[in-house]
Amino acid sequence: MNALIKVLLTFLLSLSCHGFAYAILPIEKLEPYNGAKGYLVQTKTLPMVDIEVSIDAGDRYDPVGKSGLADMTAALMKYGVRGDKGILNEAQIADEIADLGANIGLSVGGERAILRIRSLSRKDLRDRAVKLAGAMLSAPSYDTKIVDREKQRTIANLLEAETKPEYVLERSFTKSVYGNYPLANSPTTKSVAAVSTADLVQFHKQFYRSERMIVSIVGDVDRAEANEIMQTLLKKIPQSGPAVASLPELLRSPVEPLTQREQQIPFDSQQAHIAMGMTAVTRNNPDYFPLLVGNYVLGGGGFVSRLMSEVREKRGLAYSVFSYFAPGKDTGIFQAGLQTKGDQAALALDVMSSTIAKFIADGPTPAELLAAKSNLVNGYPLRIDNNRKLLDNVSSIAWNDLPLDTMEIWTKQVEAVTLDQVTAAFQKYLAMDRMRIVVLGAQNK
Amino acid sequence: MRSNLPRFLFLFLLFAQFSWAASTDPADTHEFKLNNGLKLIVREDHRAPTVAHMVWYRAGSMDEVNGRTGVAHVLEHMMFKGTEKVKAGEFSRLVAAVGGRENAFTSRDYTAYFQQVEKSKLDEVIQLEADRMSNLNFDDAEFLKEIQVVMEERRLRTEDNPSSLLNESLMATAYMSSPYRHPVVGWMNDLQNMKASDARDWYSSWYKPNNATVVISGDVDAKQVLAVVEKYYGAVSPQELPVRKPQVEPPQKGIKQVQVKAPADSPQLAMAWKVPRLEPGKLDDVEPYALELLTAVLDGYDNARLNRVLVKQEKVVNDVGVAYDMVSRGPELFVINVSLAKGKTVTQAQSSIRRALEELKQKGILESELQRIKVRILSEQIYKRDSIFGQAMEIGSTEMAGFSWRDINYMLEKMQTINPEQVQAVAKKYLVDEGLTIAVLDPLARKSVANKEGKS
Repeated sequence: MNALIKVLLTFLLSLSCHGFAYAILPIEKLEPYNGAKGYLVQTKTLPMVDIEVSIDAGDRYDPVGKSGLADMTAALMKYGVRGDKGILNEAQIADEIADLGANIGLSVGGERAILRIRSLSRKDLRDRAVKLAGAMLSAPSYDTKIVDREKQRTIANLLEAETKPEYVLERSFTKSVYGNYPLANSPTTKSVAAVSTADLVQFHKQFYRSERMIVSIVGDVDRAEANEIMQTLLKKIPQSGPAVASLPELLRSPVEPLTQREQQIPFDSQQAHIAMGMTAVTRNNPDYFPLLVGNYVLGGGGFVSRLMSEVREKRGLAYSVFSYFAPGKDTGIFQAGLQTKGDQAALALDVMSSTIAKFIADGPTPAELLAAKSNLVNGYPLRIDNNRKLLDNVSSIAWNDLPLDTMEIWTKQVEAVTLDQVTAAFQKYLAMDRMRIVVLGAQNK
Repeated sequence: MRSNLPRFLFLFLLFAQFSWAASTDPADTHEFKLNNGLKLIVREDHRAPTVAHMVWYRAGSMDEVNGRTGVAHVLEHMMFKGTEKVKAGEFSRLVAAVGGRENAFTSRDYTAYFQQVEKSKLDEVIQLEADRMSNLNFDDAEFLKEIQVVMEERRLRTEDNPSSLLNESLMATAYMSSPYRHPVVGWMNDLQNMKASDARDWYSSWYKPNNATVVISGDVDAKQVLAVVEKYYGAVSPQELPVRKPQVEPPQKGIKQVQVKAPADSPQLAMAWKVPRLEPGKLDDVEPYALELLTAVLDGYDNARLNRVLVKQEKVVNDVGVAYDMVSRGPELFVINVSLAKGKTVTQAQSSIRRALEELKQKGILESELQRIKVRILSEQIYKRDSIFGQAMEIGSTEMAGFSWRDINYMLEKMQTINPEQVQAVAKKYLVDEGLTIAVLDPLARKSVANKEGKS
């Protein structure tokens, strides 16, 4: 039996989670390094560490006609890097990650690209995982043969997605709600085909720079080790690159007649899919908590929300119905949605619209407000009860420039929300005559 | 599944299906049996002040009879529709008020309900869950609305989802007599003809303490938990369960094939072989462990064999997945699923798969390949301990398949003793045409796809 296996097995068979006195764990600031900020939460009970690098390199920077470039720049980092000892190919990278028992993943959202490492905290294993991730971030090789292969795969996936109602709905809704903002343009077969190796190299050079990065670490490492991890990750990355043009402002969804705001898309699926929403707020907006509490009542609170009650419990119109705010560093959106049998689309849209309209007009009842606060406050420990969830929190706090005591004061901020604040915030940010609506696959009776 | 968050819970289910159960120091885990036959398993984990409470009923779609497929899942929905004390919808409101997260899910093997709460709220959710173990009382009007919701769920997850349709046909073709041939959600016609009385009959047959296992994980003291569980669940009366017929699938005698036409762009191909599972009391059988490792050799990491050869080198498929679960109540399939690369045919994909398997059968696998997979299995086990809920999932699903949580460590150790020759041997013995079922998704164009290329 190989030595690592023996160590792991022995550990697993003797694993026992001894308690620590519960308190919300503090976020420690690490030493800034080459313009990057770093944060740490130490949790010592499991021999593992989660590390995230957030890079200001999201889809919003996709050039016109090349949507999908930001995604591919990140995804292809796993498929070849120039290391100290020459090129490391995709097979070698995958084998190394597997041999370490580590996971390294890359994902890209509207605002940022994210690299995540999950590793055992034993120093030799962790060091190799961090070093490999550092090489991926700093020196991806973008081999043309692999670029071509991955473009073909992406195009095939897009063609497949275009046959799926949920994808076509989401793409059309995104287009409608983001208007002239770059996030309106989802990748297409054409835009992906237009991406060249040179585009990937250029995008990497411009955006994968340490001053655009934030490192968050949660797990079994101390402060000195965390600083070392951060330096190993970033040391080969130049601090800054070519200037990045500023993004256009995301304009508030305008007041328009319904015919301008609503789009019907024919689709021969059994169910109609419906989306409704508009631009909303940033995460650091002072009205964030009134909106969070209010949306719990409207459509965020699982089985007890108004939308759930009206659409599913009272009328049996849908399996899933929801609403949410997606605030970020930039203004995010509010979105509500459901799926229902094609010939019920008009009825379901009507129920959803009138439920949202009534909520904006009248706000929650005192009993609903109390129930919402009670759920959010009592349930807060469930939002931070493991390393993965802690990392999600630290990452959001760091990315959105929130105070470092955000987790400690979260429940107090929920408790402080009043009925008037909820109603005022919903009326300030949402309006029925601004809502963009997309209905896909409705059938007339 | 009753979820409003389908993707979230679907992930949990995948975890349950592909998992080897967690390994732990038995001192952290305690098992009790109540006088009414209810089993209680408590896993103490004091990392954070939260707790997961689950009740598992050993009654899934494999216990259904023809014409009533889907009733296990329908009843799962109806469990939220009121008892003598708690009116319809109130269960969810009470759990929400204490800050809880809750849901339920049905599989072929079992039906399970759960709440996650801050630890001081545990007693309240135990009381609620124990109440609906014996006092469920919904009216016909609630049933008529909820059966519509279940049909919407089937439309969403199956009717409009070609991969699900393919899988449904694969199962119905691979099995002739085993109840695994029916989908968990049920056939649409059975749902259309289901009556409230079908759901009530199901409840009164299977929802008994002697058919239930309660699993509690988190920041609790086992002795204190036992007292609360005895107080609430202990009051429920046991009852003799219906006889479960074995319904053993007869041996397959040659290739079976099925074709599904549904809206899609690329064809998909599934190849499924009948293989053994691990049986309770026979933990030393080598073959199930070897099959688990074979799964990982083919698809367990980015450079695993099928991904490397089919996706990266030959570029004949766009994606590949391999599935096998040695821990289950019913018969098992070893399934390879691929979606085709643009311009490639099902025939090409099938011969590439066969070639890759043939090479493995002839030349075997490397010791280094197997080591790599064993390291991954063990490190994933450690990562799994990060989730309180994941631990309860693992204990419950293992118990439902007829094993004890105490077998979990043993399985993990046994897995480490398997050698390359044993993996090669199961490939040779089982990945043969006699037990093979092939299912092909033949794409139909959407009649009305507007908005192509994202223009509007």
